[in-house]
Amino acid sequence: MKTESQDNVCEEAVFSSLFKSNSKTVFNYIYYKFGNEEKAYDAVQEAFLKLWENCAKVSPEKAKSYVYTVANNLYLNVIKAEKVRLKYADKTLNSTNESPEFLMEENQFKQKLDQALASLPENQRTVFLLNRIDGKKYAEIAEMEGVSVKAIEKRMHLALKTLREQIDGV
Amino acid sequence: MQENYLAKWLNNELSEEELAEFKKSDEYTTYRKILEASGTLEGPDFNMDQAFTALKNKRELETPKVVQLHPFRKFLRVAAAIAVLMVTSYFYLNSLDENVSTQFAENKEVVLPDNSEIVLNADSEISYSEKAWDKERNIALRGEAFFKVAKGKRFTVSTDGGTVAVLGTQFNVENRNGFFEVTCYEGLVSVTFNGKETKLPAGDSFLAINGKIAKGKVVDISYPSWMSDESSFKSIPLQYVLDEFERQHNITVETKNIDLNQLYTGTFSNTNADLALQSISVPSQIKFKLEGNKVLFYAENAP
Repeated sequence: MKTESQDNVCEEAVFSSLFKSNSKTVFNYIYYKFGNEEKAYDAVQEAFLKLWENCAKVSPEKAKSYVYTVANNLYLNVIKAEKVRLKYADKTLNSTNESPEFLMEENQFKQKLDQALASLPENQRTVFLLNRIDGKKYAEIAEMEGVSVKAIEKRMHLALKTLREQIDGV
Repeated sequence: MQENYLAKWLNNELSEEELAEFKKSDEYTTYRKILEASGTLEGPDFNMDQAFTALKNKRELETPKVVQLHPFRKFLRVAAAIAVLMVTSYFYLNSLDENVSTQFAENKEVVLPDNSEIVLNADSEISYSEKAWDKERNIALRGEAFFKVAKGKRFTVSTDGGTVAVLGTQFNVENRNGFFEVTCYEGLVSVTFNGKETKLPAGDSFLAINGKIAKGKVVDISYPSWMSDESSFKSIPLQYVLDEFERQHNITVETKNIDLNQLYTGTFSNTNADLALQSISVPSQIKFKLEGNKVLFYAENAP
């Protein structure tokens, strides 16, 4: 009985923990793709609502990829990608001993990085940011995107390469 | 350098030689910087608690909908079944003929949709279609009834003995066990018996007993005698007289050594049984013995 109830997404506790561990990533995932916070927020709601409605049919192991798929399909071909705006955690504030020149240089670099990120193809940007911001492993991203780990590695490699080329102005 | 080495480097999957080689390359500094800078990146704010509360609200909003839909569908199913039942029964009942019948010792008056009147004598039955009444005035009769037909289309009375058709008149039809009599009191009545049509003017009657047409009596009253609680007979076999007595008084008749074919002419009361028994027995020269609900007629000279 106990295992059965744990196996069911319809259980409030199971559903709640699934939401807690995945909603932020679903949100970011959609945001990285389309650059629209509102749509990303809606996608989270929609995806988890769908999961709740189909809780009897979706096993907890499948639930994760289920919500990513739903969220992704929601805006597939519907909305045009907008410019992705990201913030930087102000870690530099603590290190005030840096020279102004260094800080300025760093800011310039960040601006370049921003531009480079915005111009990245959507799938490369998504992979790169999921890895860098959300700390997702390649395997996890592969599961979300429904492709092989190798394909994710390829995208990651290309993302880094393109970013470097953009920043160095090659 | 292996395939996708940048991705491998990020994942610390490069071998030492590869790493050393990569570090020596010109691009390494930029890659290093990209890594550092992107490490401090943050996505837009996402309030998870708020999102979860919103989701719960939505869930609650949508859950009752799902629950509601079910009983409503059930209700629809039941409602549809009832509707179908009601419609079919409506049509069925509508197509059913109206039926009026009388028991022994009972008369009944029926007013038809066109204000025609029918008075049913005892142990009789009529049926007609109220719906089709405008199209055809057709009455099926078993037993005896007096008709006062309003003017209008052809009015037909069908019995297993014969058919009576009129346009508007007053007449009496009796059809029982091989006895078929039509008496016209007003207007003109057309009687079809065994495929032969007979026109019956007012005051005439048509009588057929066991398929043989007998001479009808000439009436000088305007309605049948049974309507004034009397039964009149003119040269009618005793059998039918006794049958009529049985019907009018609800008394079982038994006979012993009596010629039931002897003709009887006379009238008996439909309300007073003793008087009626006298009226039948005296002219026919027979005796009777009344015991409760049974009467025995027997020959005078019998023991």
